[in-house]
Amino acid sequence: MKKFLFSVFTIALLATGCSSGDDAGEVTDSFNRKAMLENIADNIIIPGYENFKNDLTALKTATSEFVAVTNEVNLISLREAWSTAHISWQAVSVFEIGKAESISFRNFMNVYPVNAANIETNITSGSYDLATISQQDEQGFGALDYLINGVSDSDAVIVGVYTDATNGAKYKTYLTDLINRMDDLTTQVVDDWKGTYRNNFVDNSGSSATSSLDKLVNDFIFHYEKHLRAGKIGIPAGVFSGTPLDTKVEAFYKKDLSKTLFNANLDALQDFFNGKHFGKTTSGESLSTYLKFLNTIKGGEDLSTLINNQFSKARSTASALNADLSAQVRSNNDLMLNTYDELQKNVVLLKVDMLQAISVKVDFVDADGD
Amino acid sequence: MKINSLVKIACISTAFVLGACSSDDDATPIISIDEPTTYVFERNGESTVSFGGQTTRIAMAEIIIDQLKKEMQTEAALDAMFDHQEGNADFDDADLNASSKSVRSKTAASKDYFSDNATDASAIKGDFDGWIKSQVDNVFPNWEVSAAAGTAGVIQEAGGGSNRYVNAKGLELNQAFAKGLIGALMADQALNNYLSTDVLDEAENVANNNNGTVEEGKNYTKMEHKWDEAYGYLYGAATDKANPNATIGGDDSFLNKYIGRVEGDTDFAGIAKEIFDAFKLGRAAIVAKQYTIRDQQAAIIREKISEVIAVRAVYYLQQGKNGLEENTVDHASVFHDLSEGYGFIYSLQFTRKPGTNAPYFTKTEVEGLINQLMGGTNGLWDVTPATLQAISDTIASEFSFTVAQAGS
Repeated sequence: MKKFLFSVFTIALLATGCSSGDDAGEVTDSFNRKAMLENIADNIIIPGYENFKNDLTALKTATSEFVAVTNEVNLISLREAWSTAHISWQAVSVFEIGKAESISFRNFMNVYPVNAANIETNITSGSYDLATISQQDEQGFGALDYLINGVSDSDAVIVGVYTDATNGAKYKTYLTDLINRMDDLTTQVVDDWKGTYRNNFVDNSGSSATSSLDKLVNDFIFHYEKHLRAGKIGIPAGVFSGTPLDTKVEAFYKKDLSKTLFNANLDALQDFFNGKHFGKTTSGESLSTYLKFLNTIKGGEDLSTLINNQFSKARSTASALNADLSAQVRSNNDLMLNTYDELQKNVVLLKVDMLQAISVKVDFVDADGD
Repeated sequence: MKINSLVKIACISTAFVLGACSSDDDATPIISIDEPTTYVFERNGESTVSFGGQTTRIAMAEIIIDQLKKEMQTEAALDAMFDHQEGNADFDDADLNASSKSVRSKTAASKDYFSDNATDASAIKGDFDGWIKSQVDNVFPNWEVSAAAGTAGVIQEAGGGSNRYVNAKGLELNQAFAKGLIGALMADQALNNYLSTDVLDEAENVANNNNGTVEEGKNYTKMEHKWDEAYGYLYGAATDKANPNATIGGDDSFLNKYIGRVEGDTDFAGIAKEIFDAFKLGRAAIVAKQYTIRDQQAAIIREKISEVIAVRAVYYLQQGKNGLEENTVDHASVFHDLSEGYGFIYSLQFTRKPGTNAPYFTKTEVEGLINQLMGGTNGLWDVTPATLQAISDTIASEFSFTVAQAGS
């Protein structure tokens, strides 16, 4: 064999020459991606947002009523409206694309745990700018949770906080400011989908890294990993810290809603995968039909079926969990860990096998801490 | 394939470029791996080798196993050393205190074995936590008490030998911890994480390595770095980190030490070189973008490291058996051997059968072996030579060595 001795300059030239050779990006199959995007936009995303917007409007109304007539009956109504909207939110929180992405919708709507001390400081000082990123853990569903469930264990005391002669008005103002901001952000996102964005989204049906499908599928997997698997289960179970963290569950102050929220989000993600129309039993083109079209087989089995089976496995494992995941972490964390493990198994099927089949590249990487 | 050794490092970058282009050529691909004599790899005249995090964790682990023998230590202080958080003054060493690394966070934490098995990962971390707690709660208070069946305390080896501090079942918990860590930290991270194709080839690692795209602010590609991190769990404390076999066995109390011990048994002489050579060739293969050769070396490392752990498990079981068969049984000496054996048996669940995603003994199988060893009412006080032989036979039967080879 000959020995080659290139100068650094030659090496650089060759390296550059080689790198241009491995461009990905052209469509690799004849699946109708546009039809899939249409189904997702028209039958899943937009109706999901409309439903959420309605529930948020109801929450806004319940807030106004509580502020006007501050009593325990209206507190309970407000709390119910909050729960309903929080559950509806789970159906749309994955769609961090378009306007939602540009305004960091999810981070302004639902960061948890919230910083209760800072919320109290905001209230008493009356000085805060909810549009700044540093205020994301002082607003959204988690901050509302604190305000209507967390300031006391007793409804009478909570009502007393809002009717207090010195600070009651300040609590009412903060509560109102929070719901108004959530309403404003949601309106921006919904209006954009119902305006120009729907067609932009559907028409961007290629297969580059910036195409709608590539971005949406990445958003889907990112949400599945970070917000469902980690946020709702793994972090409180201590998977990343090594020690369980029972205060890090969603809806911490409400206590008995965290499992419901988890299930709602799990259902929404599986429905998205299957192209199931929002609020209906019908379905259309989806990641699942795409995989079936490609006839993607893993270990002799249909990949789409394997993914759905794994969704079911996670759901059935989670069915044994306490309605209050914080209590579950304290009483028997193994059940939380078991649930996490079943959720994690789908990460491999979705992120490796599915992405390979549909030729989509991952646009984010796990930090491994080393 | 031709492997050239003893070629100047400059040539490595040449081979590297050829590899990058070979896939685009119509001609038969040229495969050339220029392997250095020592673990020295450079890009633009600067080293590309980095594994400081592994050196740090080995240093932390050394302190923990030392402090597990200081009877004035508290559980809180030991827990904090094990699960160190950046900036906390858990050690007497400012650099370790400032470090973001922790031993516990990487215990039973490999991608291949534990990314979808948080349940077992948590249980294993719990075992280590439990050994610390039990050492503080049960052994430290009895530091001056003579150990007996059912009573924790101190027991001295014959001939004015070492004091051994055991729990009520005759087990030295510090040994269980130290030898267990060889599997749960060093072997698991090296074999099942950093040598994993899922980790080496994650995301854009292959494309970046093919293009020579280095990590931001670093001189290495991510794939190169991952491989080096595996290397660091064996040689991170070596006197000469580029030529670690010069002092193999003397550089730490963990994997390095026991590679040295197995190397010292004539039945296994040469194993240290086989392991090091596989690391070196695999790293050179990454530079040359020859990933099949890389993975072949990973398979060799997995097999040999697994063998080191198994050989030591059988060795200590046999030492214990021999001790029990003496006319006058030196219980302290037997317990010391069997406590080390306990830790190596525990470590078997982190071994890696080449060509599979599985250990030579599963967690459940290991629990079965431990149960055989400790299952008597008073644990090691009750174990018989026949039981020790049976466990030895079970372990050796999964490997290509005999009990007799390992036991001497």
